[in-house]
Amino acid sequence: MDYSHLRGRRPFPFTTIAVAVAFSPRLEALLAEAARLAGIFGAGLLPIHVGRRTGGKQELLDEICGRQHLTLPRIIWREGDEVDCLLRACKENAVDLLVLGALRRESVLRYYLGSVARGMSRRAKCSLLLLTEPVASGTAFRRIVVNCVDHAKTRFTLDTVRYFATGTGCTDIRIARELDQTGLAMSMSDDSTTAETARVRQQLLQGEEEKLRGADCLMQVDGAAVERVVLSGRPGFAIRRYAEDCRADLLAINSPDGLLGLIDRLFTHDMEHILEHLPCNVLIVHSRPSGGA
Amino acid sequence: MSKFTPDDLVTLLLAISTMLILSRVASEIGKKIGLPMVMGELLVGVALGPTLLGNLLPGVYATLFPFAGNANFAVSLEAIFSLSVILLLFVAGLELRFSLFLENGLMAMTTGIGSMVLPFASGFALAWFLPEWFAIEAGGAKHLLFSLFLGVAMSISALPVIARILLDMQLLKTDIGAIIIASAVFNDIVGWIFFSFILSLVGEVNGRPGVARSVASIAAFAICMLAFSRVLLSRILPWVQTRLSWPGGVLSLSLGFCLLSAAFTEHIHIHAILGAFIAGLAIGDSVHLREEAREIMHQFVTNFFAPLFFVSIGLKVDFVEHFDPLLVGLILVLAFAGKVLGAGAGARLGGMPTRRALAVGFGLNARGAMEIILGSLAFEAGLINHQVFVALIVMALVTSITSAPFIRFFLGK
Repeated sequence: MDYSHLRGRRPFPFTTIAVAVAFSPRLEALLAEAARLAGIFGAGLLPIHVGRRTGGKQELLDEICGRQHLTLPRIIWREGDEVDCLLRACKENAVDLLVLGALRRESVLRYYLGSVARGMSRRAKCSLLLLTEPVASGTAFRRIVVNCVDHAKTRFTLDTVRYFATGTGCTDIRIARELDQTGLAMSMSDDSTTAETARVRQQLLQGEEEKLRGADCLMQVDGAAVERVVLSGRPGFAIRRYAEDCRADLLAINSPDGLLGLIDRLFTHDMEHILEHLPCNVLIVHSRPSGGA
Repeated sequence: MSKFTPDDLVTLLLAISTMLILSRVASEIGKKIGLPMVMGELLVGVALGPTLLGNLLPGVYATLFPFAGNANFAVSLEAIFSLSVILLLFVAGLELRFSLFLENGLMAMTTGIGSMVLPFASGFALAWFLPEWFAIEAGGAKHLLFSLFLGVAMSISALPVIARILLDMQLLKTDIGAIIIASAVFNDIVGWIFFSFILSLVGEVNGRPGVARSVASIAAFAICMLAFSRVLLSRILPWVQTRLSWPGGVLSLSLGFCLLSAAFTEHIHIHAILGAFIAGLAIGDSVHLREEAREIMHQFVTNFFAPLFFVSIGLKVDFVEHFDPLLVGLILVLAFAGKVLGAGAGARLGGMPTRRALAVGFGLNARGAMEIILGSLAFEAGLINHQVFVALIVMALVTSITSAPFIRFFLGK
C-alpha cells in the first residue's frame, strides 16, 4: 500500500483519533476518553480491535456506546498479531493519535516479552497516548511535563504539547531537560579542587538552562504557567521520577529514533526507563516532518 | 616467610607514605603545566625505582624499597598493588554503561565498532606476522596470545582521560562528545572482557582450564551479574542508601561486592579484574546509585590506590634500560593509525563530516591510565617483556597528551 500521503505529515492537528479496543474491564472508560479527545480536537474517532469479531463483542460495544451516547461510524476489526495489525490499521487510516490503555507497571516477564502498549510505544508510526487510569468522566490533563531533549523532533513535540494543552485546558506546563553527569565523577576525582568541580557543574547547569530558554519561547499556552526544570540524572529515569514526584497528569516525550528491542530493555535507557514504569499518562509524539516515516 | 615484624611495618608505611606524598606533589606540579595526573605518578615511580634512585643511590633504594632483601615487605606491597588494580578496574566499570552506547544510535555503533576492529586487526596482524619485532617466538606457546593481546591493547580507550579532555574543551555535552564517550564505553567493555579472556588463557598455558571453559565461565559470569544482579541491586541500593549510614553503608557494601566478585572470578581461574570490572558495571548501571556515592568511590580509589599502583610501575621497571626507540615508534604509529583511521572511518560511515570524524578518532586515541593498567597486568602475567611494557606506557602517555590538540585542530577551535 502507498503511504506517501503520510510523509511529512505534521503530528497535529488531530484529524483522526484511534483507540485500541481490547475488551478489558477498562474498555468503557477508554472509549469515553478517546471520544472526549476526539470531541475537543474535532477529530474522527476510530476504534480498532485486533481479534475475532463476535456477536458478543459487538453487543458489548453497542451497549457501551449507548451508555456513553457515542456514535461510531466505523470500527476496524483485524485478526493477527496485535501490534502489527494496529500499526497497519493506523497507517492505512492516517491516524494522528492512537489512544491505548496501559498498566503502570508490568511483571518482569511481560515487560521483557513486550505487551501491546509497550510494543506500540516502541514501534508506532503515529503519536500515542498511553492512559494508565482512564476514567469515563475524562482525565484532566492539568499538569504536563515535557521532555526537552536535544533532537530535531523536540520542536514538534513542544508544538504538539502546546496544541494538546490548549485543547485540554492545561494550567501547568513543565519543560524539563535531563543533565546526565556520566563521566564527571571519574574525570574530576583526581586533580580538581572543590571550586573547580563546582564551577564545572555550574557551567553544565547553565548550558542546560540556556537551551531551555530557547524551548520556552515555543511554549506559550493561554492560562498555563510554564516552568523550566533541569533534572540531574539518567536520561529517561530522571524525568520519570520527576513526573512521579510532581504528580504530573501527562508526560510528553519524543518517539524513539529506531526500533527498540530486547537489548534496549536489558540495558535500559531513555524511553525504556519510562516504559518500565509509567509515572503517569504518557504522550509519545511521532514527528514525521523531522524524519519519522 | 617469617613473622611480620614492627620493623617490616615501619618500612612498609614509610614506602607507602613516600609514594603518596611525592606522587601528589609531582601530580600537582604536572597539573600546572597541563600534564595528566598519571604522568606525575609514573615519574615518581621512575625517580624512586631502579631507573634513578636504584642507580644513583642504591643504598637508599634498598632501604626504602627492600623488595629483594625483605620478603614480608615485598609480599605486603604486592598485595596492596593487586588490591589497587582490582579497585581501579571496579571504578572504571562504574562509569561504563552499555546503554550509553545504545542511546547514541547508528553513528555510535559504527564509530564504536570501527574504533575497535581496525586497531585490533592491525595490532593482531603485526604481532602475528612479525613476532620477532616483539621478541616473541613464531609458533610458540605465546605467539597467539601475544597477538591477541596487542590487538586488545591497540583497541581499548581510556574513558577517564577522554571524559576529562572533553570536559575541559566543553565538548562533553555535545553531539561529538556523546559519540566519543559512547564509543569509548563500547571499546572498554569489549576490550576488558576480552583481555580477561586472554589472561585466563595465559593461565591455561600454565596448566589451567581450556578455551571453551574460559569462554563459558566469562559469559556465564557476565550474564548472571549483569542480568540478575541488576534486579537485585535495584532493590538493595535504595534501601542501603536511605537506611544505612551514609556514605559508609553504600561504600562498604559496594567495595565488599567488588572484592567478593573479584575473589570469585580468581577462584574460577579467570583473572580477579574481571570480577571487579563487572561488579563496577553492575553497580554503576543502577539508576539508584547516587551521584555522591559514585564520587566518593572514585575519590577513595583514585587518590589512594591509583597513585600507589602507578608509582609501583616505575618501581618495577628500569625505563632507561628497557627503552627501545624503534619499538616505541612502531607501537606509536600502530596506535595512532589504527585508532584514528578506524574510529574516523566508523564515524564517517555513520554520516559525520571528515574533519569531525578525525576529531572523534583523536578523541578515542587517548589511552591513558587504562592502557598502563592493561600493560602492567600483561607484564605481570609474563605475556609481554620489559621493552613492550615501556613502549605501551610511552604510547599511553603520548596518545593522552596529543589527543586534545588534535581534536582542537580538526574542530578548528
